[in-house]
Amino acid sequence: MNNKQRRRFLSLLIGGIIALSLGIIPTIMINAAGEMPPGKYKTLSELDGKTIGVAEGTITDRIVEERFPNATIKQFNSMSDVVEALKSGKIDAFFDDEPILLNTIAENPDLTYIEEDLFVTDYGCIFPKNEKGAKLRDEFNEWLSDFKISGELAKLRYRWTKGPEEERVVPDYSKVPGTKGSLVLATTGTGAPFNYYVGTEPVGIDIDLLARFCIDRDYKLEISTMSFAAIIPYIQSGRGDVGASAISITEERAQSVYFSESYYEAGSRPLIKRTDAIAGNFFDTIANNFHKTFIKENRWRLFAEGLLNTMILTVLSIILGTALGYGVFMACRNGNKALNKVFAICTWIIQGMPMVVLLMVLYYIIFASVAIDGLYVAVLGFTLTFGAAVFGMLRTGVSAIDRGQYEAAYALGYSNRKTFYKVIFPQALPFILPSYKSEIVGLIKATAIVGYIAVPDLTKMADIVRSRTYEAFFALISLSIIYFLIEGLIAFLVSRIEININPKRRKREDILKGVKTDD
Amino acid sequence: MIRIEHLRKQYDNAIPLKDVSVTINDGDVISIIGPSGTGKSTLIRCLNLLERPTSGKVFIDDEEITDPACDINRIRRKMGMVFQSFNLFGHMTVIENIMAAPMDLLGKSKQEAYDEGMRLLRMVGLAEKALNYPDELSGGQKQRIAIARTLAMDPEVIFFDEPTSALDPTMVGEVEAVIRELAKTGKILMIVTHEMRFARAICNRVFYMDQGGIYEDGTPEQIFDNPEKELTRRFIKKLKVHEIRIEDKDYDYIGLSEGIELYAVKNQFPHVLTAHIRHAFEELVHVIMIPALSDPKVEVTIMYSDEDATASMEVRYNGPEKNVLEKGEELSMKLLEGITRAIEYEVVEGELTNQIMITF
Repeated sequence: MNNKQRRRFLSLLIGGIIALSLGIIPTIMINAAGEMPPGKYKTLSELDGKTIGVAEGTITDRIVEERFPNATIKQFNSMSDVVEALKSGKIDAFFDDEPILLNTIAENPDLTYIEEDLFVTDYGCIFPKNEKGAKLRDEFNEWLSDFKISGELAKLRYRWTKGPEEERVVPDYSKVPGTKGSLVLATTGTGAPFNYYVGTEPVGIDIDLLARFCIDRDYKLEISTMSFAAIIPYIQSGRGDVGASAISITEERAQSVYFSESYYEAGSRPLIKRTDAIAGNFFDTIANNFHKTFIKENRWRLFAEGLLNTMILTVLSIILGTALGYGVFMACRNGNKALNKVFAICTWIIQGMPMVVLLMVLYYIIFASVAIDGLYVAVLGFTLTFGAAVFGMLRTGVSAIDRGQYEAAYALGYSNRKTFYKVIFPQALPFILPSYKSEIVGLIKATAIVGYIAVPDLTKMADIVRSRTYEAFFALISLSIIYFLIEGLIAFLVSRIEININPKRRKREDILKGVKTDD
Repeated sequence: MIRIEHLRKQYDNAIPLKDVSVTINDGDVISIIGPSGTGKSTLIRCLNLLERPTSGKVFIDDEEITDPACDINRIRRKMGMVFQSFNLFGHMTVIENIMAAPMDLLGKSKQEAYDEGMRLLRMVGLAEKALNYPDELSGGQKQRIAIARTLAMDPEVIFFDEPTSALDPTMVGEVEAVIRELAKTGKILMIVTHEMRFARAICNRVFYMDQGGIYEDGTPEQIFDNPEKELTRRFIKKLKVHEIRIEDKDYDYIGLSEGIELYAVKNQFPHVLTAHIRHAFEELVHVIMIPALSDPKVEVTIMYSDEDATASMEVRYNGPEKNVLEKGEELSMKLLEGITRAIEYEVVEGELTNQIMITF
């Protein structure tokens, strides 16, 4: 193939992918009322001795352990990981609640479930264990009981599980005056049909239920998404007012939070692989995945929003962290021993802590009782870490400068401050910048964990998308590409600075600008 | 004028300056010489407070710079310093090195600083290097630039801290030539140096430093030709000295004899001379003197001059005036006379009043 042909082939290929992804709208729907397709296993008892997945932070693992003493149990955090694991045979079955599985199966025709419940659980909303929480719980229970009696709850449940797609909408709660204040709802956003994203809008049974409650009772509703395991601590700390995310009512949890009455009874069933799974056409699959990941429900906007948050976090942390590290360095440059010791210990603590632990300590302990956006806490956490790194870099860089440079400047009559700015710092900078650059790249990569404290950053958004598409490929590949691009961009900017501050690259004319020379 | 009163500098493990008081007059060109570790550099570094004196006062033109309230940065502008390791600013070109301080500290315009800088560069013969960076220059060139940088502030005093010690022998001359020119300008120069010939040629005053202070202060003729004090003389004549004390009849004869051998090897004595010194020590002290004294207290000083490769041994001992040579065995005396050029007995002042002087 010569060059021209190759180019033509490539443009055809790319054009084809785009055309397919735009043109094909996935038509895979299952007949809700119909029979479940046959699976690899027929009854629950066949699962003993197999590898079984459960959702992290739920009660399922204990029940599975009792029922299947020979099974190996694996914990999972998101449904998209589960789907991958099932398809690749890493696990044989995954227990979850039927409505959630129905949704998963709708998106993944390769999967099915065994029509036998392991146990049935009640879902309830959770409230903080304090006076305010108790009051809100009572108010919610009272409202829920009316909602049940009037038959509205049953309708709502039907709509989100068996009803047609176009009816699955949450009433508009943004116009509520909110005279009784606002409620912060903690949920995962990755648990369809209870809570998930369509475009950038959170929807689902949990959202619908709380939206209706807030509209009826005049509360403003704010939704905060996080991992399932983070919801209870979030409510416990009083940061959130109500948690709803298909949370099973258990005695153990009831010790930490208040539960409302049940609003949903779900059977826990095992999700398994179908026996008659058919592999689709390769190109169709790619186009379909691309469509699902970016085009459908405007999901690219989730990526854009996540990117924006990641950029805000990164840029603010770099600027503030640099300022902090520089400030601290200048404060103890002249060697106040006690001050130096204090900062050395602080640096040691901050740098010794895993980033995610530092963030959680800040969010769930230090700022537990303050209403503060997770993004600001993340900025604070990364500012501290980056500041500590900048402080260390400055110390190393400046100490690389020969003592004689100070003495020469002092002997000419330069003050301590002027000596630093005119003589020492310009010479230390070339030692500092390379590590500064790699520290920035490290910072950008580290921001991927802020989902732990409810910051919808790029990675979290990709998770949300994955939880809807059950497709890892496009979401993760585009995620890595975006991170590479950000890192490349910032590293490029720093490199420009690096070149510009190199005194030996100045032009001869610039050195003596404005001076009349003899020659 | 610089006045120093009871200056003392003490480190954790050493006291380079114990108590220095001296006055330096305008126009003085002073060489500071002496063995290493005797506080020569410390002295001039205390004068511009690169080292904080432990105690004592320093006055520059009747202003006490050791007073904590004194603005030392202002005083330092009229006191230049040239370092052994040049310490040019590596991120600046040669001309910027010279222009920086006048612009930053004296408020001169860029043009003024440039004109003056070029004048100084021409003076030190390096005008063509104006736009080079220090790391492109040889050691001698760097030191000449460093002198020009110091001169750009038009100081009244310039301290030179071993300005040629880090240079190749071939480059020492070019730097000395520049300093020689400066000596004619009437500025106070204080030069720590090991170049005796150079020191003698340009200065009007010499400090010989030893024993924690200025041990001897005089004109070059005085210090170099007729040093009054013993340590000065030893230093000027480049004497290598080895001292032995014996305070008991049962002394470590073998250890001391080995000590002489080591000292001789260290200073690269001719082989024959070493053997002669050891023999002389053995015969005179071990065979003749110690048996003759009831409660011996003996001091032996061996000196070796690098300049003319001659050695001498001075032996002092206690007791009433008594020339032990008179009682020496004939064989020992013969041997001694065979290996020495002269051997004399003398009565001297001090604790040990008998002295025998041997020259080899």
